[in-house]
Amino acid sequence: MTQNNDILYLDPGHAFGIGSRESSFIKNNFQLVDQYELEAIDLHEYKCLVVHDFIDQEFMFKQREKVRSFLDAGKIVIFAGHLFKEWLPGCPLFTPKEIHQFTDYEISIAAPHTIFSGVISEEMTFNKGVAGFFARGTHSPVPAGAEVLLTLPGAMPVTYIDRQTTKGTIFVHAGRDLFVNRMQGKSTDRISVQLLQWVHEEYRNLQGAGEKI
Amino acid sequence: MRKIAVVYSGNSAHYRTFNEPKYRKFIAELIYLPDLLEASLENYDVLIVPSQLNERLLLGAKEKILAFAEQGGVVAAFGPQPWEWLPNQKWEERETNFWWWKEKGASSGLVLAAPQHDLFNYITLEDATWHQHGVFWPVNGAEKLITTEDGGAVLYVDKISTEGTWIVTTLDPDYHFGSYFMPATERFLDGFLPWLAQGKIS
Repeated sequence: MTQNNDILYLDPGHAFGIGSRESSFIKNNFQLVDQYELEAIDLHEYKCLVVHDFIDQEFMFKQREKVRSFLDAGKIVIFAGHLFKEWLPGCPLFTPKEIHQFTDYEISIAAPHTIFSGVISEEMTFNKGVAGFFARGTHSPVPAGAEVLLTLPGAMPVTYIDRQTTKGTIFVHAGRDLFVNRMQGKSTDRISVQLLQWVHEEYRNLQGAGEKI
Repeated sequence: MRKIAVVYSGNSAHYRTFNEPKYRKFIAELIYLPDLLEASLENYDVLIVPSQLNERLLLGAKEKILAFAEQGGVVAAFGPQPWEWLPNQKWEERETNFWWWKEKGASSGLVLAAPQHDLFNYITLEDATWHQHGVFWPVNGAEKLITTEDGGAVLYVDKISTEGTWIVTTLDPDYHFGSYFMPATERFLDGFLPWLAQGKIS
C-alpha cells in the first residue's frame, strides 16, 4: 500500500464536493469515503482522519469515542469547519466573529509554520478582492498548550494544533476545508500540499515519540 | 399556518439556520436526513429540502419526497442540484461569480419575472441577490418568479409535474446564513419562511 491510502477523508457527499471527488490531488493522496462509512471502518491502518466542513456532526458526535481512540493511538485528526457538537477532544464550540467592516476578516499568521510557509496573508484574506471566504470566527479558548497558527483581528485564533489533549495531534481550522486551496494560481495553493506534507511528518514524529516510550 | 418540516443534514450551516429562533418558530420538525425514510410526513404541509445534502441519502429519499408531493404537499428545494431528484428536473450548472458586485458596471443579472406574485410581498429581488450556482429550465406551465437575463429560472413554482407544489430555487440561503456569510441570505429567509408558512403559494 502506498502512502496515498493512509489518510482517510470523510466525504459529506454534498453537491459542492463533486469537484473534490473527481480531483486527482484528492484521489492520489487520500482514501475518500462517504462520511457514514466511518462507523464500520477499521481505522487501524490510517494515520490521519480528515473531517470536512460539511460533515454531519450529529453523526460525528455518535462516533466521538472512535475519534478519541484513534487520536489516543497516536494519530492525527484534521477538522476544518464550525464545531457545534462536542465530538472533537478539547475543541470548544465555534463562535462567529462580530463583523463591522471587511477588515474584520483580515487573516494574520500568528506563528510561522511549514503549513503556511510562503503563503501571503492577503491572499488568504481576499479572494478576487472579497474578504470573508477564509474564516469568520473561532474555536476559543483554544486548548491549553495549543499552537495557534492563524488569527483574525484581536488575536482571535482561527487555526491551531493541539498535541496536549490526546496522545495524537488535532489540527483545527475555523473555516472551509483547507485541501481545496489548490490550482487557483495564488500562494494559497501551497496550503493543500504543505498541509499534506505536514500530516506525513507529524505522523512520523508521533510514532517516533511512541517508540521512545 | 402551514406545518413545515425540514430535512436536517447535521452539517453546521443547517444546524445554525434551522435552529435560529426566528426561523425555528416556523418549523414543526427537523427530520434528520438519515432518519427520513422512516419518518412520517403525514402531518406536514411543507417539506423543505435544503442544499448540499448527502447524495446517497437524498437520492434514496427521492421516491418518498415525490410521494409527499403527489399527496398534495409543498416541497421547497434550495441550492444547486447536480443529481436528478426533482420532477422534470433540468439543471444547468454555471460558473458562480461570487464577486460580480466588484466588477465595472456591476449587475447581478437577476430579473423579477413575476412581480405580482405574493412571494414579493415578503421579499424583494435584492433579498434574493447574492450569487447563483446555475439555473433551471422548468417544465412548461411552471411559473418562473426570478430568472437570469436569459430566462433561466433561479426560483420557480411547479404545480404541473405532480399533484403538489414544488418551489425550487438555485439559491442556497440555508447554507450562507448558517455559515455566517452573505447578509442578503438572512433577509431572504426572513421573508421566505413566513411566506411558506402563511403566504399565497399558488
